[in-house]
Amino acid sequence: MTLLKTSRKLHKWLMLFLGIQFVIWSVTGAYMVIFDIDYIHGDSLVTQHQTPIDVNKINISLADIIKKYPDAQNIELAVLIDSPVYRFKTEQKNIMLNASSGEVLSPINEVMAVKLAKHYYSADDDISEIELLTDNPPLEVSKRHLPAYRINFDAFARPSLYINAYSGIVVTKRHEFWRLFDWMFRFHIADYQDGEPDNLLLFWLSILGLFGAITGLVLTYYRVIKNKRKRSNAIY
Amino acid sequence: MRFIKLIHKWTSLFVGIQLLLWLVSGFYFNIMDHDKVRGNQFREQIKPAPVLYSNINNTPFIDPKTILAEFEKSQSLKIVLVLDKPYYLLTHQAGLYHHFYNKQTLVNVYSGEEVIIDKKIASNIANQSYNGPGTIQSVTLQKPPIEDIPKEKNIVWQINFKDNVNTSVYINASSGQLIKHSDDDKRFADFFFMLHFMDYASEGSFNNWQIILFSIITLWLVLSGFIWTIELGFKGHYKFSFAMNKNKNLDIKNLPVSHATKK
Repeated sequence: MTLLKTSRKLHKWLMLFLGIQFVIWSVTGAYMVIFDIDYIHGDSLVTQHQTPIDVNKINISLADIIKKYPDAQNIELAVLIDSPVYRFKTEQKNIMLNASSGEVLSPINEVMAVKLAKHYYSADDDISEIELLTDNPPLEVSKRHLPAYRINFDAFARPSLYINAYSGIVVTKRHEFWRLFDWMFRFHIADYQDGEPDNLLLFWLSILGLFGAITGLVLTYYRVIKNKRKRSNAIY
Repeated sequence: MRFIKLIHKWTSLFVGIQLLLWLVSGFYFNIMDHDKVRGNQFREQIKPAPVLYSNINNTPFIDPKTILAEFEKSQSLKIVLVLDKPYYLLTHQAGLYHHFYNKQTLVNVYSGEEVIIDKKIASNIANQSYNGPGTIQSVTLQKPPIEDIPKEKNIVWQINFKDNVNTSVYINASSGQLIKHSDDDKRFADFFFMLHFMDYASEGSFNNWQIILFSIITLWLVLSGFIWTIELGFKGHYKFSFAMNKNKNLDIKNLPVSHATKK
């Protein structure tokens, strides 16, 4: 059999079995490259306020903190909406307190979570649902971010902000385009178990796919380049 | 059907080579050593020691309020460790992520003076994070874009070690924080990522115009091929070899080749 005939036969039979996978690869691949990754990551859902700390509002000193919490670590002085706050870790828990009054703010309640969500959220939509997650987080939020409030907004692509109950910080954000992206990626790497690309299914699909593509290119070579040389009037 | 076949032929000519590169690089991601390609072969995992809030002479930290009043307006002040010693890290302008542009100042907690990460400090930080056999070969200050870490938007120190994998250590030049290690194993994988993402301008992104164009054309290639395969199935071209010989002459006009018109 000639190279052309072998390639034609192989291409035809390989694609009978791999056709669906090539459709999956090209559809999921196109989705992932066409949507801007920063948009997918919901960067446009949140506002980076850049509010400076108002020094005159600070009444609690570092010494005060250490006196009350001798084992405080990772101490940070930052801004919560417009008030200065201390955040730190003790052996038992994470603490946030108001740097003006010394009032302990953590864990934040639902009212505060809503206020923060509206502050960080870049649009003006209504909140549709609030839930405090303490264990068994959904796939889209890491366990280390718990406990966290999930605040869902009533808007296009159903955006959610996740706000840590101790720090009041937006730990992650999601919308339908990101959720879909995660599924697209898993289909793209043919992984139906743990989200890693080193699975045996992908191994065989990509080897056979490679043969499918090479034989296809041989056909293209004969059909386009060789045909042209012969000045054939064949259409395809 | 002729239209479908025409699309299949011409799109395959246009994206064929890239399609091979996608499959080869995709296959590489499947078989590569996932630990090696992180570039952390000689990276020492440093466990942070607890911060003591006064030094051996019992000098306490200067209070954050004083520091904040003296420097440019900050939105956060953090106690960080650099070479096991505490410092205040002031963030004047915060990026959404660490690798976005962040305007920061490092301040000595006892004297209240600004600390500049110089060549020597950068080398020491790099050495502390490195547990390989090599020694430092060069230390240079670099502005983004940086080839090894294309997403980084801050000025960094690059510390190159002389070892079998050419380890480079990257340190944020204003905060003194370790960004990452890179080495030849990682660079080898990065080459395949560049091919897979068609990131031929090394922007560290897969949202470039060339891949968007190629992905749309590939969609046409694949969908036309898919329809063609279904058509072949309906026309009875998928039969096992004993049946194929029999039908060969009968169905010649439906074969997916130009020879049908030629002969």
